[in-house]
Amino acid sequence: MINDIVLETEALSKHWGGIKAVDEVSLQFRDRLLHGVVGPNGAGKSTLLNMLCGTLKPTSGCVFHKGQRIDALKPWKFVQRGIGRSFQKTNIYPEMTCLENCAISAQRRFGGNFNLFVSRHSNKLVRKAAEQALAQVGLEDRTHAIAAEISYGEQRQLEIAMVLAIDPCILLLDEPMAGMGHDESLRIIELLKELKKTYCIVLVEHDMDAIFELSDQLTVLDNGRHLITSSVDEVRADPRVKDAYLGAEDEEEQTA
Amino acid sequence: MQTILRTPKSAAISLGNSMTTELFFVQLINGIQYGLLLFLIASGLTLVFGVMGILNLAHGSMYMVGAYLVWYFFGVTGSFTVSAVLSALIALALGILIERVLIQRLYNRNHLDQVLLTIGMIFVFNSLQSILFGNDPYGVAVPDALSGSIPFTDNSSYPIYRIFAALICVAIAGLLYYVVSHTRLGMLIRAGESNREMVEALGVNIKVLYTTVFALGVMLAAGSGIIASPMSSIVPGMGESVLITCFVVVVIGGLGSIKGAFVGALLVGLVSTFSAVLLPSISNMIIYISMILVLLVKPQGLCAK
Amino acid sequence: MIFEKRTERIIVPMFFMVALFAPLFLESNSFFVGKVTTIIILSIFVMSLDFLVGRVGLITLGHALFYGMGGYLFVILSPEYEAVNFWVYTLYICSISALIALVTGAMILRTKGVYFLMITLALSQMMFYYFFDSLEYGGGDGMFIFVRPETSIFGLSFLDLDDPQHFYYLALFSLFNTLVFFKVVLRSRFGRVVEAAKQNPDRTEALGYNIFAFRLTCYVIGSALGAYAGFLFALQFGFVNPSFFTWEMSGMALVMSILGGSGTIYGAILGTFTYEGLQYFFEHLTKEWLLFMGSAIILMVILLRKGIAGYLEKLLEK
Repeated sequence: MINDIVLETEALSKHWGGIKAVDEVSLQFRDRLLHGVVGPNGAGKSTLLNMLCGTLKPTSGCVFHKGQRIDALKPWKFVQRGIGRSFQKTNIYPEMTCLENCAISAQRRFGGNFNLFVSRHSNKLVRKAAEQALAQVGLEDRTHAIAAEISYGEQRQLEIAMVLAIDPCILLLDEPMAGMGHDESLRIIELLKELKKTYCIVLVEHDMDAIFELSDQLTVLDNGRHLITSSVDEVRADPRVKDAYLGAEDEEEQTA
Repeated sequence: MQTILRTPKSAAISLGNSMTTELFFVQLINGIQYGLLLFLIASGLTLVFGVMGILNLAHGSMYMVGAYLVWYFFGVTGSFTVSAVLSALIALALGILIERVLIQRLYNRNHLDQVLLTIGMIFVFNSLQSILFGNDPYGVAVPDALSGSIPFTDNSSYPIYRIFAALICVAIAGLLYYVVSHTRLGMLIRAGESNREMVEALGVNIKVLYTTVFALGVMLAAGSGIIASPMSSIVPGMGESVLITCFVVVVIGGLGSIKGAFVGALLVGLVSTFSAVLLPSISNMIIYISMILVLLVKPQGLCAK
Repeated sequence: MIFEKRTERIIVPMFFMVALFAPLFLESNSFFVGKVTTIIILSIFVMSLDFLVGRVGLITLGHALFYGMGGYLFVILSPEYEAVNFWVYTLYICSISALIALVTGAMILRTKGVYFLMITLALSQMMFYYFFDSLEYGGGDGMFIFVRPETSIFGLSFLDLDDPQHFYYLALFSLFNTLVFFKVVLRSRFGRVVEAAKQNPDRTEALGYNIFAFRLTCYVIGSALGAYAGFLFALQFGFVNPSFFTWEMSGMALVMSILGGSGTIYGAILGTFTYEGLQYFFEHLTKEWLLFMGSAIILMVILLRKGIAGYLEKLLEK
């Protein structure tokens, strides 16, 4: 099958005391498709993402990777399996070059991390992986630029490059277009269109235009519960979704 | 380095390492009294850290300042009460001055700068102590009204001053508790302890709050130094040895928590006092061993949130 | 290239050239040879601290713990009146110190920032008391080292540690090796992760690295080298005492490392020599050296934030 299930959740829940941040959510994320995840604030999107990448452990329910149950594993095991995550708040290494940023991402899978003596620059595999990641996002001419000195939009691209450098099977992207202007957003949209030909992508975003344009499947969460997962058109037509976004959608239409 | 308090002579009677009931009660009170004193110092440290995010390494120096000032003024005025009041006022002024001139430059700086600045302050205070007062050990006589001992059995008695010191510490602790739980300042302190940004967002004048809290911390340390001065020798280095003991207290109790400082201080006070009698060969080390044990079991401290 | 900055490539060779030839112009038992030897040994200690504080981000006030252990381990392990082998004992001392660092580090490295600082201080204080109160290790007076080790390898000996000039060159050789070692490690793949962990620990963990393991390894390395410095110091003066363990020792080393330039590694040499030089100069002028130093530190934090190396780099790097 072309579109195998890469990541799957089954009745995934996260409770904090009496609050159900995520409530019995079952989802399937398939390869080479972009899955949008939307919902009003507090819907549980970030919590879900955190459980998918292993930094948060579910209260109940399971996460499966290619059929194997992984929710109890340590976060670095998730990374090892190719589950890569980008951050909403730019989380790069400001004082290093873009190449070094990607190199650190890539180095982990090539081993030899406790080698105290071999120069970091000598490993061609790591270098190639880093350069490839930068090329994929279109940052080749920024290879040796210091990360703190490139533009905000380029930093968001670097965030994605760092995920690509781990050779992922799935990209969990947390609002990659946060704080971006129109042109910069367009660039990211084009990039994601390219990337979804190769990778499974889970995209959490507030930019509705981008979500509608990119998503092959769209999931709506509300108050931790899974409302609907379907094609963009069906989701937009669904009355429950309109209720959940009551007011918010009207605002969107007014400013559009 | 010396332990800052010596056990009263009347309590030093022990038959080998066995403990009589009398001795037990004397040491119990000693331990509680020492613990209460430690609590005052530690609460000052933890208050400043909790609200302002600054670990003031020169906190022990404030304790020393209190003690030396009392000794100095006692030499001039002959009155313990006058000396105590003068010393407290000077310590207050010093606290405000230090906060305005030096500490406020640390608020947005990294941790290393904090450490360095406060180490520099320790050096300055220690050298000022040496220049102004000299390096000989000094003592302050117990004020006449509080000298003497209360007999409680046929052949042992307990010094009045130590009881007085313990009561003063309890009174100050009570006052501190009242301020923290029933006043607006206390509310700000508690809010600041859990969320500094929130306090700023409340529109509070942060500068005034910080100066107040820091001055409060300095007063608690200096005040302890004043109270302790008739009970221990006033020597160079006394500030740092009490500071390190303080660290053990807050690590055991949980940094940033006044309740933790209380629990930690009493624990350290009792363990320290009893071990001096029961296990003299390792008595100096025992509090550090206790700290390690607590760390292994509960790394954030016993009362951590 | 392990020395990446131009400033380093100028200053480091300059220093070692001068240091290499200086004793040849002074008599073997001149006061200066001994004094500079001590400063060189101290630089090794400060350099190991700079690695921990400036590069790994572990701000410790208990580094003196290992300085003291270096000296005391030698006294504890070696027979009183017999000359042992220097290299063998270096291995023993560094290994045991590494083990101590491994155990204590495993306990305390999960704590953060301020806690870590307080605990390291408390631990070195504990060792102070252990030796101060001990009967078999000389208590407050410490112990003497009556016979210095010999330095033969496979029967060939070329250094006599009783000769101040030879001891000087041993210390200088050690300093050089320590500098190169740290530079190599920091340039390595391991060093890349350490650098990342300091700049952005959350991201580094999110990338799948076990930061605790990396920090622990660094702590072990830095502590073992700190112990080596203590060992050399003890050998030079022929005694150990509990003052090796004090917070003043740790605090002073921290000041020196930052004075030189935190994290630069070679800055440790600059900072130590400057501090000791200033102290030597001013102690003869005034009794209040400490007041001057304390004020200078305070001013330095407020004004000159990147240390001497930082200042030089501003001048020399384009």
